[in-house]
Amino acid sequence: MARPARLIRPPGLVDYDDANEAMHELARSRLAGEAGDTVILVEHPPVYTAGRRWKAEDIVWSEDRIRASGAELRFIDRGGSLTFHGPGQLVGYPVLDLGARPDAVRYVRDLEEVVIRAAADVGVELHRSDVQTGVWSGHRKVCAIGVRLMRMRVSLHGFALNCTTDLSWYDAIVPCGLSDEGVTSLSQLAGRTVEVDEMAPLVVRHLEAVFDLELEPDRAEWPSLPATAASAG
Amino acid sequence: MQVKMPQLGETVVEGTILKWLKKEGDDVAQDEPLFEISTDKVDTEVPSPAAGTLTKIMVGEGQTVSVGTDLAVIDAGEGGAQLAEEPAAPAGEPAAQPNGAAEAPAEPPAAEAARKAEPVETPQAEPAAEVPAAEAPQAAPAAAQVPAPSAPTDVQAPPDRGPRSQILSPLVRRLAAEHEVDLSQVRGTGTGGRITKNDVLSFVSARAERPAAAAIPEAPPAPPAPSAAVPAPAAGEGQEVVPLTHIRKAIGQHMHTSIQTTARAWTMVEVNVDHLVKLRERAKEAFREKHGVNLTYLPFVVRATIDALLEYPHVNARLDGENLVLHKFVNMAIAVSYDAGLIVPVIKGADGMNTVGIARAVADLAARARARQLKPDEVQGGTFTITNPGPYGSVLSVPIINMPHTAILSLDAIVKRPVVVDDAIAIRSMVNVSMSWDHRVIDGEIATRFLARVKENLETWDFAEDLGV
Repeated sequence: MARPARLIRPPGLVDYDDANEAMHELARSRLAGEAGDTVILVEHPPVYTAGRRWKAEDIVWSEDRIRASGAELRFIDRGGSLTFHGPGQLVGYPVLDLGARPDAVRYVRDLEEVVIRAAADVGVELHRSDVQTGVWSGHRKVCAIGVRLMRMRVSLHGFALNCTTDLSWYDAIVPCGLSDEGVTSLSQLAGRTVEVDEMAPLVVRHLEAVFDLELEPDRAEWPSLPATAASAG
Repeated sequence: MQVKMPQLGETVVEGTILKWLKKEGDDVAQDEPLFEISTDKVDTEVPSPAAGTLTKIMVGEGQTVSVGTDLAVIDAGEGGAQLAEEPAAPAGEPAAQPNGAAEAPAEPPAAEAARKAEPVETPQAEPAAEVPAAEAPQAAPAAAQVPAPSAPTDVQAPPDRGPRSQILSPLVRRLAAEHEVDLSQVRGTGTGGRITKNDVLSFVSARAERPAAAAIPEAPPAPPAPSAAVPAPAAGEGQEVVPLTHIRKAIGQHMHTSIQTTARAWTMVEVNVDHLVKLRERAKEAFREKHGVNLTYLPFVVRATIDALLEYPHVNARLDGENLVLHKFVNMAIAVSYDAGLIVPVIKGADGMNTVGIARAVADLAARARARQLKPDEVQGGTFTITNPGPYGSVLSVPIINMPHTAILSLDAIVKRPVVVDDAIAIRSMVNVSMSWDHRVIDGEIATRFLARVKENLETWDFAEDLGV
């Protein structure tokens, strides 16, 4: 009884703004009943995103230095504080209708579950934290999770799983405002290279299992996606 | 109608208002985004449960309140006001109902049908006429007081309460059949007195709660049960209600996590610091002149503790899953109280410092902590914590471990006490040095040997040379 849903996985690095816009467009379509559930899986060029609760002291580097490093800085509408996206990180944006009475906490826990299961498939044992969202190995975060709901109903944003991420990017920020905790990647934990392309199918499989979805790959060209999505209904 | 803090999950007990999207006096359409809230890491915009005028905002941006707290009032206009005089179907508070609780009352007001019919780009547009009003769910607690108003230009029904409409949505029929509800006994609160889904669900939950009432639909509303979500108390005579600050909450969460996670045990030694007191009296003036900071007892204890930590690395360890990370260096975290609460700056590389270096580092970090000038990397990376309540007069403390550290040492007040020295009673300056430690990581033997080492260092080392005075 799995619900059919679209899987959009554009090749290469996808500009953050394009993905962000497409995600919001898909959510509006979903809310309007013009599109079904969709999951976007992407890899971004280096970009720091600051959620609604970012604090100035969480940015260690100056904005100039961040830009000089080749990364962008974006202030966005999701929950949470600062995080980094970049090459080697699998970013997932499930745009799902969570129903009229969404259990947002359950939704976040389910996302964590997907990542925990996918990591287990490559032999890496991860866990949740009692106090913080995300997926962890010890006190180091492997996957950041930040979610927003449109109209208290349709999910936006999602998870960012470090596969082969260059972790030195995190030196620029205090990730998620957590000064005591570090960041790590699946490759570091596995002791071998765990590519985004290796994790993506595993994440897809567990998204399907945990959310009871049947994900159909969509060959939509990026960034013509929003128009495609709008016409899908 | 009252707009309440919605519940975004069974375990969610409170939410923070991020932003009001409407001002007092603004008109708002049903299902139009009204405000944004944040809970844990999930933010959402919340659609208006009704159309009308936002007459009052009771909870401002940035404030955190319990689920179910009244946030605002929407005046639904004429129809709603008239209907308010009528007793409505019984409905309890959302979080309090023992069964079926999550069903009816916690219903967020997003209406499936209205949602589909209403163009998202123009949220002010009226819901399309073909939307059956009976399918538009209402926030149940509010519906119990004031029936939801009609959509602004709903031509199908008069704005005031007419005879009960016979039009029932398939959803309502199905729910009624499922729960064996006689719809003639359900009071409709929808447009024109239509029976809504929530009316049925409220009826069902009220019936379950008070079986006798089921047959008497005219019964007065059930008294609101005590809610699990506690609204902010009103300040009584001689009281002041102060909301918790962000830092207060963060400290609370950190401490609570520690007490729930660690297997905390506690050990104390008493230390004769007579010679340290004499040394400090002798050296403090010169020390201040030479080094620019006051000489306190804390640097001696930090220095003595670092030596013991290097000797007993398990006390200087961090539990990481099923592994212990033993540190071969000491980053000493020092608890510092300041006006906003407590902060724990870290002396990095403390094991490479002598007593003077430690004294300067402590003074510098404490001063900048109180001036709120610490950088993020100065409050992270600690391997062990020392807290120092002694100056305030305590002689014995049982601190909570500063996770992920294994232990925290407390330096309490130095007091003169009669002690036995060489089988005679003498007066000495004594201090209790105690430690809370995590029994998941070490046992009593190591904890005690460690403390004995600290004691021995403090009692036998000649710090005079180290002070450089």
